[in-house]
Amino acid sequence: MLPTKGSPNVHPTNGNYPGSAESGRARAFKTYVEPELEVLFRVARTLTGSSVDAEDLVQETLIRAFRSLDTFDGQHPRAWLLTILRNTNINMHRRRRPDLVEDIGSVRGARPAFGATRQTSPEESVLDDILSEDLEAAVNSLQDRFRTVLLLVDVDRLTYAEAADALGVPVGTIMSRLSRARARVRGHLRSSATSPGRTS
Amino acid sequence: MITSLRRMVTCHWSARRIGRYLDQDPSAPLAPEEVRRLEEHLAVCEKCTRVTHEQRALSRALATWSQKRLVDEAALARMHEVLDRITAEGDR
Repeated sequence: MLPTKGSPNVHPTNGNYPGSAESGRARAFKTYVEPELEVLFRVARTLTGSSVDAEDLVQETLIRAFRSLDTFDGQHPRAWLLTILRNTNINMHRRRRPDLVEDIGSVRGARPAFGATRQTSPEESVLDDILSEDLEAAVNSLQDRFRTVLLLVDVDRLTYAEAADALGVPVGTIMSRLSRARARVRGHLRSSATSPGRTS
Repeated sequence: MITSLRRMVTCHWSARRIGRYLDQDPSAPLAPEEVRRLEEHLAVCEKCTRVTHEQRALSRALATWSQKRLVDEAALARMHEVLDRITAEGDR
């Protein structure tokens, strides 16, 4: 049974656990965290730019989250975990420039999927011919604060609110940075697509 | 003159909402009135329609990164092991 609001069986703040208090606490923690592990890892990878550092960051986050479980009200576990992840990252002094090459290198040369499964209408833009190399260059040309938001929302598929939790900024800031990041990437791609001598 | 100025103002207004319109993010939904106004504008504005198409193309391209940047199964397994260890120690 998932520990939701109002669940009488598992509630970390009132100690109302089934069985012994400690085993109930551990079980509640696992129930909250297990579905979020992959998201935590993806976000950690975006924040650190490295899979190895991401593992360290998630591990430390889990330890800290377990220690602070008693202060968690049982609602929005993802937001709670992303906040701990962000603070842990700051405390570990591991803010690094996200390094896309490590992961995106595996798709070098691959064409984006768009256009592959649908007919492109004539009025659609030149961006439908984006090459993955161009996209990678465009994203890497962004300043850190813009690139990180773009990756969290458009690649890691976080909602604006979750990205705000992960970065410790208001949702409005996420929307503003995202809008600017996308506009800059589009501009970069448009100039790549129309540059002389381009071969696609 | 007035028509083109009005169009420009609406383009500016629309540009600030196209991302939210496409994302449909629960944190920042557009009001029905905003959606209606934006869609009316997109129906007549070539420039904003192009921006919308470009944004869709960009989202699709970045979505392919999401699929390619799958979390390594071994790393995920290690994360589960860490979680098991933490909860097992918490039981003691």
